[in-house]
Amino acid sequence: MTAPLYIALRFATHRKRALLLSLVGVVFGVGIFICTQAQTQGFMQFFIDSTIGSNGALVVRSRFQPRYQGMIVAAKSGTAASTRRNLFEGITNVSEIMRVSRQFSNVVACSPVLRGSISARAGFESTTAEVFGIDPASHLRTTDLGKEIVDGTFDDFRNNTSSLIVGYRLAQFLQAGVGDTIQLLSPGGEYWRFNVAAIARSGVGTIDSSRIYVHARVAQRLLKKPFEASMIIYKLRNRDRAPELATHFETLFQQIAESWQEREEGNLQIFATLRISAAITVSLIILLAGFGIFNVLTMSVLSKIREIAILRSMGYRRIDISAIFLWQGALIAMVGSVLGCALGALLTLGISKVPIHIRGLLYTNHFLVVWDWRHYFWATVLAVIAVFIASYVPAKRAAQLQPVDTLRGSSL
Amino acid sequence: MKGEISLSCRNLERYLGEEEERVHALRGVSLDVEAGSLHAVVGPSGCGKSTLLYILGLLDKPDAGSVEIGATPISHLSDEELARRRNELIGFIFQFHFLMEDFTAQENVMIPMRRLGHMTEGDMRERAAALLEAVDLGDKLRRPSRHLSGGEQQRVAIARALANDPQLILADEPTGNLDTNNSQRAFDLLANIVRQREKALLLVTHNRFIADACDWIHEMKDGRVILSHPHGERISV
Repeated sequence: MTAPLYIALRFATHRKRALLLSLVGVVFGVGIFICTQAQTQGFMQFFIDSTIGSNGALVVRSRFQPRYQGMIVAAKSGTAASTRRNLFEGITNVSEIMRVSRQFSNVVACSPVLRGSISARAGFESTTAEVFGIDPASHLRTTDLGKEIVDGTFDDFRNNTSSLIVGYRLAQFLQAGVGDTIQLLSPGGEYWRFNVAAIARSGVGTIDSSRIYVHARVAQRLLKKPFEASMIIYKLRNRDRAPELATHFETLFQQIAESWQEREEGNLQIFATLRISAAITVSLIILLAGFGIFNVLTMSVLSKIREIAILRSMGYRRIDISAIFLWQGALIAMVGSVLGCALGALLTLGISKVPIHIRGLLYTNHFLVVWDWRHYFWATVLAVIAVFIASYVPAKRAAQLQPVDTLRGSSL
Repeated sequence: MKGEISLSCRNLERYLGEEEERVHALRGVSLDVEAGSLHAVVGPSGCGKSTLLYILGLLDKPDAGSVEIGATPISHLSDEELARRRNELIGFIFQFHFLMEDFTAQENVMIPMRRLGHMTEGDMRERAAALLEAVDLGDKLRRPSRHLSGGEQQRVAIARALANDPQLILADEPTGNLDTNNSQRAFDLLANIVRQREKALLLVTHNRFIADACDWIHEMKDGRVILSHPHGERISV
């Protein structure tokens, strides 16, 4: 053990109460930082998992006309025309696109979807719904639909082409349960009758309140679409790389390709803003703890002027003196971070058990949390930086004290 | 003076304070202190004794003049190098002993050794115990220094000054805070150690009996050494 560390440990016990208060500040700052990050990211993660689970990590949609370079140079002012693309709804070469897509290592599975808006009626209730015409087998591999079933079975849907799966909140609105009949109004004006085979709950409000799954071939006839799919959805190994793959697919297939990050940009920005806001608020606690440490160490320096002079007279260098007080700060940071991380884990565990009734953007009955080592890492880094800054000034001040001024007393 | 010169200074000048309050604390002070000898600096309060001691102890720098320790000039050395020399070559004893109150007697003695860093924890404890044994405090090693009497605290300070086996011991009124018996005891202890181990001792004192027991007496007045004489003689400089 170095001499400054040994003396720092001994000095640390001198002002126990003040030191304890500083420690408590760091512990609570770190703990609450971890807990708030776990919560805000928990809700965001749930949203991302749910939306990807239902809509895929990547979607290939409408075809666009390739843009060819003309022989005549366009006028300089004609920038608007150059950014516009001609879009054609639907995908005509579904099998070919899916065959090529599967060659990409990041693609786990893909599934065609025929999509359209339609009026749904059950009993005396009617509303607009979003029909997803799916191939049950490939859709089950690509999405979490199988896990989202809360009533009925997926097999009942698979084995009966005149059945459908309805979103949880839509079923509630239509007051329809498994085995009931829902009528869908085709663009031709006739009602098609379907049995409710299952009810699915993704957890995302917009999906659960509007979606109806039917078999793809039935959907094509119902919606009177000339193409077999309006989009292909993808399950990816690394969903973080969806934007790169989307760009690549656009070039390759000449179809609009949209990653989940682009699709959910608005919602993700809200979550990110909440996380940053929570981080800033909690950082203020750590900052306040830093002020506390600054005060404690400044008082410690003032109360140890005599000891500093003694140490200097015995050959301790300025750097040793500042190291003594920096070590005290480091000890607070280390102990505070360890205890704070433990507190953060306990708070996170406790908060995850708290019942909560959310039925809006998300569906959940308890607080959602994420266990991520990075929350602990960044909380510790933040605490160490705050404590170092708080310790630096008193430590520097201690090093600059002239021992002679203290030792001389009144004599010349 | 017969022995090897441990410490010497030439024409030391030192001003203290700023502008109108400026005091000419030292005015051309020169001294030689040889190994194995005891030197006393006497004089009225404010004559510059402590200022001289702090300059010789490398805690303060003179405005003019030079200081040599073991024939090495120290005026050009960096703050860090001065600290190293202080740790290795000089032992300080102060009037109010200046011990670390929360530390035990043994821990106080180990403080200079920790900075030197030449010994293991066990060796440091052993050496500190031996030094405290030498000053009759072998049975109070683990007692916090604030629980020791004034005389005992000063003996711990003496043991601490000897911790790194320094060439030179500087003492600023080491008996000033002790009663007559304890003063005599502390001084005898110091004098024996200095003579036996061939150290050099320079002490500032107001105690005439202590000064008379030293090999040399340097009388100061108004920042000057007005008389320097060996024990029993009076030689003017």
